[in-house]
Amino acid sequence: MINALIVDDEPQARRNLRRALEGAKDIHILGECGNAFEALTAIHKDKPDVVFLDIQMPQVTGIQMLSMLDHTKMPYIVFLTAYDEYAVEAFEKNAFDYLLKPVTNDRLELTLQRLRSGLVSQNLGALPEANHLRQVPCFGQNTIFFLKIEEIEFIESRMAGIFVTDIKGNERPTALPLSILQNRTSLLRCHRQFLINMDKVQKLNYVESGVAKFVTTGGRTVPISRRLLPSVKEWLGIK
Amino acid sequence: MDISSSLALSVALLQQTAIYLIIAYILSRTPLFIPLTRTTVRWRHQIACYVIFSLFCLMGVLLGLPVVNANAQANTPVIGAVLAGLLGGPGVGLAVGITGGLYRYELGGLFALPASINIAVQGLLGGLTQRYLVRRGKTELIFNPFLVGGITFVAVLLEFGIDLALARPFDQALYIVSRLALPELIAAPLGAAIFVEVLVDRRERIERASRAFSGKALEIAAHADGVLRDGFNQENAMLVARIIYEQIGVGAVAITDREKILAFIGIGNDHHVPGTQIASRHTLQAIANNEVVYADGNEVAYQCSISPTCKLGSNLVIPLAGEDGKVIGTIKLYEPKTKIFSMINRTLGEGIAKLLSSQILAGRYEQQRRFLMQSEIKLLHAQINPHFVFNALNTIQSITYEDIDKARSLIGDLSVFLRKNLKRPTEEATLSDEIEHIDAFLHIQLARFSDRLFVETDIPEELLTARLPAFTLQPIVENAVKHGTSQLLQAGRIRIAAKQLDNVLILEVEDNAGLYEPRVGGDGLGLNLVDRRIKNKHGDSYGVTVVCERNISTLVTIRVPREAAS
Repeated sequence: MINALIVDDEPQARRNLRRALEGAKDIHILGECGNAFEALTAIHKDKPDVVFLDIQMPQVTGIQMLSMLDHTKMPYIVFLTAYDEYAVEAFEKNAFDYLLKPVTNDRLELTLQRLRSGLVSQNLGALPEANHLRQVPCFGQNTIFFLKIEEIEFIESRMAGIFVTDIKGNERPTALPLSILQNRTSLLRCHRQFLINMDKVQKLNYVESGVAKFVTTGGRTVPISRRLLPSVKEWLGIK
Repeated sequence: MDISSSLALSVALLQQTAIYLIIAYILSRTPLFIPLTRTTVRWRHQIACYVIFSLFCLMGVLLGLPVVNANAQANTPVIGAVLAGLLGGPGVGLAVGITGGLYRYELGGLFALPASINIAVQGLLGGLTQRYLVRRGKTELIFNPFLVGGITFVAVLLEFGIDLALARPFDQALYIVSRLALPELIAAPLGAAIFVEVLVDRRERIERASRAFSGKALEIAAHADGVLRDGFNQENAMLVARIIYEQIGVGAVAITDREKILAFIGIGNDHHVPGTQIASRHTLQAIANNEVVYADGNEVAYQCSISPTCKLGSNLVIPLAGEDGKVIGTIKLYEPKTKIFSMINRTLGEGIAKLLSSQILAGRYEQQRRFLMQSEIKLLHAQINPHFVFNALNTIQSITYEDIDKARSLIGDLSVFLRKNLKRPTEEATLSDEIEHIDAFLHIQLARFSDRLFVETDIPEELLTARLPAFTLQPIVENAVKHGTSQLLQAGRIRIAAKQLDNVLILEVEDNAGLYEPRVGGDGLGLNLVDRRIKNKHGDSYGVTVVCERNISTLVTIRVPREAAS
């Protein structure tokens, strides 16, 4: 069985695709989502094999949503669009699967065959927007909280997971690993376990030779590792 | 005293004065006299005044008639001297008087000294009278023949006084004066008065001519105004040619573009046919060299290039200048062989050409602007968002499984929407047309976003007949969905309302997204274009205004004048 998730902000569009997929006996539809926020939650919770993902959605587009996922643990993505010349061009160039709405049966059958033949990994690095994170999704009990980069002070990796601390001092868990957050944002790696927003740094304290720590504008301290201190200093332009 | 001989002398002196006046009259027809038609302070005019009146003064001495003997004369230099003073002021009067006086002194005789002093005094008298009148602000009296006659009369009396005071022996002087008195007192004032009358007449002729000239020019300007703005074509050229023909009264008027005759009215219209190619080499020359070509039929030969029996005998071809001074056509004035081409008509013709050129230019500019506007509207109409259309089809496809009637009605809505968008842009529409358009659009949007879009409309029935530029409301409503409510995670609300305040129709489109951002170019085209079209048509007090409360609401208000209920 192939587990599928349908993500589209138009209810009739979801229903239309569901009807089309229901003909395929080996496709199990896990659920439908009306926006990127619901979709992120569902992807984390249900771990679908394939996501039928609409591009035009409110606030966070389908492609932007991909920047909030770990590309190494990704479901297979089939993009959905009614009309978007530029996106379609990028999909074709990078051999991504996409369906144009309204979907024709023949075209859908092609996609299903591809799914059955085994889900190959997709190189989402080819889509710039999928690799630039504007806001970090933080998962609450039933909600996802989106933190803009400029609202973040630092991010810490602990045994229990990854935690984002905002300028008000609130700490929230995120599912994205530190390496992805480092790659897709302007946050600086200052410690094996810490990313810091340099715009929110108030001062740098030397503790002893070779060891230092940041104090944020909120008064919280963030350690700087001995190994990374030279690169931090270089970033700051001091010797 | 012998009355009859005195009368005979008077008649003789009057005859002399008549010769004098004939010369004055003839000279008055030349430009030489123009400076004399006004009192003047300009030194060039004063010099002209001095020269001319000195000549008349000398002529007055020269045309004298001997009384008793050759050394005592009945003469009229007083006319030149007094007029010089009156027209040129005390300086010129005195100068003329001295000039005349010196000449008179040269002639010698019993009266040589007093007569020469007389002339100088008379010039001064004229001058002082002029100064007095000017200071009292009664300049116009200077040209009053009665006043001039009166002053001259006084000047002659003064002359006799001086003669009697200075000439010796006294009894002989008295005798001569008694012989001179009647003739000079009649002839000199009369001559001076008529002289002034000649000047006044001359002035009026100049003024009448220039009045007629500017009258014609203004008349043509007023009638032709705006005609060529609508386009430089045969129809409009014909209208303008007729106006010029009727106002100037030349033999014929033609207007051409660079290749053909656009209009021809007047003599020879049987063979000068509008729409035919230009045959005249004068016209081709005027176009090629951007110059005025004048063939008067004498110095520059004129022969109609179409018909050898054409009655036209002279023509004036003036190029019409367009952008960058490029010739776009010509205007031609003709006179028949029986008539002379007047200077005034030549000048007038060139003035009219300038006027028409600027009109044509203004018209072309206007046309370009309108064309640009039209193409922008076309662009707007063509701006059917394909994303919208395919999503609509997808939605309708889905609904066919659930509610076939609804699907049918949505297909109807999509058809209405597409038809309205693809329709050739018209200038105006009624509010009900516009509402029909957005209704079709919103029905589809409501089907697409059934779970999160709510629309509220409040359009009073009586406003449905209101007129507004077509395609005004739809782009605004489309923006409210596209850049507004469709970006919301929660329910989107759109309110569309119409009302009338005084004579203004006010349309409001409000959404609860509050995401409006003034866009430069790009998507802003719709809203900006709607605004520009309304302002273009109705002025800057109308148009589109936007009030955005971030993340709460965007309110777009459209204001158009509501014409009196029709």
